[in-house]
Amino acid sequence: MNGLHGIIFSHEKRNDLRELGEIRSAASIPFGGRYRAVDFALSNLVNAGVTDVGVVLHGRYQSMLDHLGTGKAWDLSRKRGGLRVLPPFNYQQDWGVMPFRGKIEALAGVRTYLDTIRQDYVAMMDGDLVVNLPMAEIYEGHIKSGADITVVCGNDSFATEDGSYFEIDSDGRITEVLYNLHRPRGYRGLEVYILSTELLKELVDECYAKDQYSWRRDVLRAKKNELNLRSYIWKGFAAQIRSVQGYYDRSMQLLDPAIRAELFTPARPIRAKGADKTSTYVGSEGRCVNSLVAEGCRIEGTVENSILFPGVVVEAGAEIHNCVLFKETVVRKDAHLSYIIADKDVEILAGRTLMGHATYPIVLAKGSKV
Amino acid sequence: MKKECIAMLLAGGQGSRLYVLTGEMAKPAVPFGGKYRIIDFPLSNCTNSGIDTVGVLTQYRPLELNSYIGSGQPWDLDGSTGGVHILPPYMGSKGGTWYKGTANAIYQNIGFIDLYDPDYVVILSGDHIYKMDYSAMVARHKEANAACTISVMEVPWAEASRFGIMSVNEEDMITEFAEKPKEPKSNLASMGIYVFSWKTLRQYLTDDEADPNSENDFGKNVIPAMLGNGERMAAYRFAGYWKDVGTLESLWDANMDMLSPESGLDLHDESWPIYARSVNAPPTFLGEESKVTHSAFNRGSVLDGEVENSVLSSNVHVGKGARVSYSVLLPNTVVEDGAVVEYAILGEGCHIGAGCRVGGTPESSAPAPWGLTVLAPHCEVEPGRQVRPGIMLDRNGEEVSK
Repeated sequence: MNGLHGIIFSHEKRNDLRELGEIRSAASIPFGGRYRAVDFALSNLVNAGVTDVGVVLHGRYQSMLDHLGTGKAWDLSRKRGGLRVLPPFNYQQDWGVMPFRGKIEALAGVRTYLDTIRQDYVAMMDGDLVVNLPMAEIYEGHIKSGADITVVCGNDSFATEDGSYFEIDSDGRITEVLYNLHRPRGYRGLEVYILSTELLKELVDECYAKDQYSWRRDVLRAKKNELNLRSYIWKGFAAQIRSVQGYYDRSMQLLDPAIRAELFTPARPIRAKGADKTSTYVGSEGRCVNSLVAEGCRIEGTVENSILFPGVVVEAGAEIHNCVLFKETVVRKDAHLSYIIADKDVEILAGRTLMGHATYPIVLAKGSKV
Repeated sequence: MKKECIAMLLAGGQGSRLYVLTGEMAKPAVPFGGKYRIIDFPLSNCTNSGIDTVGVLTQYRPLELNSYIGSGQPWDLDGSTGGVHILPPYMGSKGGTWYKGTANAIYQNIGFIDLYDPDYVVILSGDHIYKMDYSAMVARHKEANAACTISVMEVPWAEASRFGIMSVNEEDMITEFAEKPKEPKSNLASMGIYVFSWKTLRQYLTDDEADPNSENDFGKNVIPAMLGNGERMAAYRFAGYWKDVGTLESLWDANMDMLSPESGLDLHDESWPIYARSVNAPPTFLGEESKVTHSAFNRGSVLDGEVENSVLSSNVHVGKGARVSYSVLLPNTVVEDGAVVEYAILGEGCHIGAGCRVGGTPESSAPAPWGLTVLAPHCEVEPGRQVRPGIMLDRNGEEVSK
């Protein structure tokens, strides 16, 4: 069957997400006031007409399972195809405690699933990527170019935890695959790949037989001359959520109207699970500027340069500057917060003051009371 | 499939007193409170009360309502043994008619109700904003061994003559019913919410249909007939927020009420959630120079101007230097830079050009009579235009009279 199939990897890799990553995988981190990181990959695929998506889980995946549900929010709850959740029970090793070694190993663990893929092509994406890619266009380009694998890169070499970087010749062909760089160079890999289902299965089988597990080392790098690896350069916003600092900086970029216009373009809407919350209310003495605010909040204090998820309460006299407050954060009277990332259900008692810095935002763990 | 209790929701009315707002949609589909449509209240009350089977009787301009209700999934009313069913009038082998009145609408759907063989039927209307546990009302109905239970609330004596007024005995059983009495004997007003024992109601509906002089209306015909025959009629006292949003003023009032929890309309209370089919849009952005006070907003809006004492639906834009006060903006409205909107209801997709002045305060219009300014959905107001208080514009921007 002609068409594109999606595989999203939600695995734990080396990252610096501190308290944010303790209870969830990076893919289920809340982002942008009402989304989870994985909503972007799912929406990118669905907006390109993809009907079948497998999500490879690993590690602390309870939060991902809760979020994905039946896939209804992305129209992926189908009689045929739709969302396929692939938990790690069929790995041959004990993955709950072992670090994840690579995509190939994960795919080998769900090898029977690969045989059920109805489509001729597969797009592989990471769940921690926040982007709005024109996947339909990239897929079309892949077929036209005759590439074996299309590698989607950002138009930059931002330092990313555990990032992959590519050197590209003037024809757009990948000439070098780099990682573990102290000083990143080349194009930053977004860990988005398109290839044919047949080739994917061949590669997985071959690597598995040789006890190879790394997609970028044992496939991309080892076969860069043998296979036609071509790049697609994405010039827009693309955030890989792998550290607290990265999370904070990328979140704050959403206060820029141009970035929001691109990431939330109505042509390719990002879908998310709805929250059954009422409208947000700003009180008579409330002040809220240069901020992104979700529904169900109550703001009686001051909010500036911040991102508020659903159901946040800011009581009178409280001051919020440069913060990201997750669902149901409660900031009591006269408390002052700056450069804080508060996870779900955090409560800041009256009169408390907490200050981080732009170069070191403080994370308050889920459910904590200050 | 036998059910103890099902609900029938009367949603066919045009809502002609909402004028241009219901030009293209039935009243229950009118947006409310920045996120909801009026019908979300009875539907959510049903699901929160454990009623999982609801018939929605539609007639006037049902398109918007039908697509909004869809499978009923947002209200958890998409179960396999019940769920929400849209019931338009239909043709039979002997012809068919439009729904002639509220009682006739139910009469025409006796077949639907019989499918569930219910003991009790709750009759609701689609134009009230309130939170109510229908299961408590059904319990009262059973306790009183009544044929019909009518939900009532105390209203100020001075206003009693505007309502259907119930007189009750010491057991709160209804002894008398008077529609808009000049000299009310009681201040218990009917809220238009009924529980009937289905067998009894079925008989009364059949008799009522056979009476050529009947208007086939619950309030005018069926209830008086039941009282006249000495049926046991119980009153169920309701205390809490309840508002009929059948007029532009009451719709505006109810929107303003949601800004003040003291009004009794607390939508933040998660123990009785009001569900809605939500719009997919990013969170709202409040710009550097925005000033939003005592107001509510939802998703997808970009607010760069001043907003006070107002309720904004999703995807609203308020430009720089613009001011919106004491107004209700329905989804996708745009208020361009420097425009002023006061005491107005702007229909879906209205576009207010730069520098316009729409509506005004009651003081500003004196000595001329004042009123809310109301714009039909998709009305475009060209830059700089003044729209005086009390004016209503249709979708072409032309004045229409009430």
